[in-house]
Amino acid sequence: MKLGNYDMDKRLAGYAAIIVIGLAAPWLFPGYKAQMTELWLFIVFALAWDHTGGQMGYNSFGNVVFMGVGMYVCALTQVGLFYSIADYTAARGGGTIFIFDVPDFLLGLALGLPAAAIAAAVVAAVLGSAVLGMRGQYFAICTLGLGIAAGEIAAGWEWIGAGSGMTTPNPPDGLGDINRFLYFLSAALAVATFLTLRWIYTTRLALAINAVRDDEDKAEAMGLPTTRIKVMAWTVSAIFLGMAGGLYGNLKKFIDPVDIAFSGATVGVWMVLMAILGGKGTLWGPVIGAVIFQITKEFFWTYLLGWQRVALGLLIVVIVVFFPQGIMGWVRARYPERFGHRVEPAAGAKGEGARP
Amino acid sequence: MKYLLKSSLVAAAALAVAGTGALAQETVTLGAAVSLTGKYTTDGEHTKRGYDLAVDMINKAGGVKVGDKTYQIAVKYYDDESTPATGAALAERLIAQDGVKFLLGPYSSGLTKAIAPVTEKYGVPMVEANGASRSLFTSGYKYLFAVLSTSEQYLSSAMDLAAEKAAALGKKPEEIKVALAFENDPFSQDVRAGVLDDAKRLGMQIVIDDQLPKELNDMAATLTKVRALKPDVLVISGHAKGAATAVRQISEMKVDVPIVAMTHCDSADVVAKFGAAAEYTLCASQWASTLTYKDNLFGSAADFAKLFNTTYNYEPPYQAAESAAAVMVFADAFQRAGTLDPAKVRDALAATDMQTFYGNVKFDETGKNIAKPMVLFQVLKGEYRVVAPTKWAETEAVVPRPMMGN
Repeated sequence: MKLGNYDMDKRLAGYAAIIVIGLAAPWLFPGYKAQMTELWLFIVFALAWDHTGGQMGYNSFGNVVFMGVGMYVCALTQVGLFYSIADYTAARGGGTIFIFDVPDFLLGLALGLPAAAIAAAVVAAVLGSAVLGMRGQYFAICTLGLGIAAGEIAAGWEWIGAGSGMTTPNPPDGLGDINRFLYFLSAALAVATFLTLRWIYTTRLALAINAVRDDEDKAEAMGLPTTRIKVMAWTVSAIFLGMAGGLYGNLKKFIDPVDIAFSGATVGVWMVLMAILGGKGTLWGPVIGAVIFQITKEFFWTYLLGWQRVALGLLIVVIVVFFPQGIMGWVRARYPERFGHRVEPAAGAKGEGARP
Repeated sequence: MKYLLKSSLVAAAALAVAGTGALAQETVTLGAAVSLTGKYTTDGEHTKRGYDLAVDMINKAGGVKVGDKTYQIAVKYYDDESTPATGAALAERLIAQDGVKFLLGPYSSGLTKAIAPVTEKYGVPMVEANGASRSLFTSGYKYLFAVLSTSEQYLSSAMDLAAEKAAALGKKPEEIKVALAFENDPFSQDVRAGVLDDAKRLGMQIVIDDQLPKELNDMAATLTKVRALKPDVLVISGHAKGAATAVRQISEMKVDVPIVAMTHCDSADVVAKFGAAAEYTLCASQWASTLTYKDNLFGSAADFAKLFNTTYNYEPPYQAAESAAAVMVFADAFQRAGTLDPAKVRDALAATDMQTFYGNVKFDETGKNIAKPMVLFQVLKGEYRVVAPTKWAETEAVVPRPMMGN
């Protein structure tokens, strides 16, 4: 894909605009910082899901496992550095009051987020070796089960608070506006995820991942170590999901094992939806999908209160029926030349011949 | 007490002025996310009705006098679907988008636990009436105030009663066997922690320690174990739905246990729903209409019960009473703060020391009410009768309960 100077300039201008808007957003819409932080994290969720779901063709409904593991590990690190976790999570309260000052809080996050990434990656590598031998709907159902099982385990494990859940450390006053703090951390993570995946998609690994999607048997016959590739791809997703989970826990501030950490029915499905809405298997698709999804979701919650779940359900139906290839897929079918596909006049007249 | 009297006089004067001058009054809006759908629907409804009744009474009495202005109170409600994630999102919405500066609590400790960090983050005072778990009060929150007694006190008197009546069961206290069945949520798990402490203190043995299923609609598995192991005391906590399930299945399966104690029987309305099956059940309660507390808004506890009954056609469970009290605590703090600045109202709340029809309210530095004890009911001839503590006991508890026969 070769770009002319003019296209390159336009692209750079586009990135610059996004960065400027992203930096200014907390001051432009001060009342919506929490929702915008959530949006950045949703972008990470969608991108990470698409890495295996879209690029590799392995539809996982269990990626919440990595998010939840990251959330717990980050919170446990943040607390465990300074207090006994069993006291902190005790249903009876610890008898003491748990206070975190600014250095405590920052150190907790600085160590908690990498720990979350590592833990999620380990879980992905172990689980992946076990379940990535399955294909198609078997894999999808199996991952669905993983999400539910993880929630049940967390809800029964007293050390981490069991069904009582766990609160993340109360941010100290000295930190200033905690929402703004988390907003920029989340934005940075989203940008880092985007750039990393953008780079990965230029490497041979991406070709191998796509080969698995397009014809796994053929890929294997050509000598690709498919299982290893699949585990590697899932682990990469898990790293980002784990860190995003750590931040998501601090954003929500209360980790309920089933409802927030291993929330297969909400975030677990949403990350799939966002990727599909934007366009599976494209770099920008998950980003666009997350933006549209979050805006619509908040819009429904504001103006259709009481019917928000119904509206969301209808949205899902509309997405699947009218945009089976997602927005990016739809745009690509219309304007194939913008995606570097050469279009022969006869074939391209109706926007066909641009199948990805 | 004195300033309450004074403020109600002032309120009456304000009413008179408003009556003659027909002044357009300003409104102070409290926000609340309560469970109108989901597993806590019943208790969520009691909570909302308690809030509504108190708001109504205060407005009828002329509103709240803050500085030299009088305000009407309004409540903006959202449905939290009984899930913590939604509750937290709605609190965020109430504060950041709707501009609400004061929050009333949701129903249940779990929801309160999810919402408290949000109110704390924005410096928005929250007076809550339905989050009793002690784990709420360990984060050093400065904007959280709870008018109710904490969870570990709920069934303490039931356990003491079991020890006292051990002789009637033909046993020594340390021979008493206890079975536990609790919901896996912050409130019930803290009740459980309290019961475990009590059992240890009294030297009793725990023979069953089960979790109720998430949806709280079937505890047959636990009851089968109970039948096999024959404990002397069966303790259950799972909010209104858990209480209803327990009473229904204990009688359906004819499980005979000498002492059955639980939380939330009155909010589940087990007497009206299950009649004789509810008989002799011991119930923990934050409040009873026979208590002798009074205030100038509702009058006595009995007056509140009467008013509630004529308004909603059922006896008020304590969830409604404590919720009404939360609104009164806010109104009182507004008046004393003399401003609607959240930080000043927060300080006024921290200095609260008042009596309401629901009980005394005085907060410790973590924000929990330390001025009010729990009571224990027993269902006797279809009525909730106070059997403990001794100070308010209307009658002697019937222990052991008569066998149903298999």
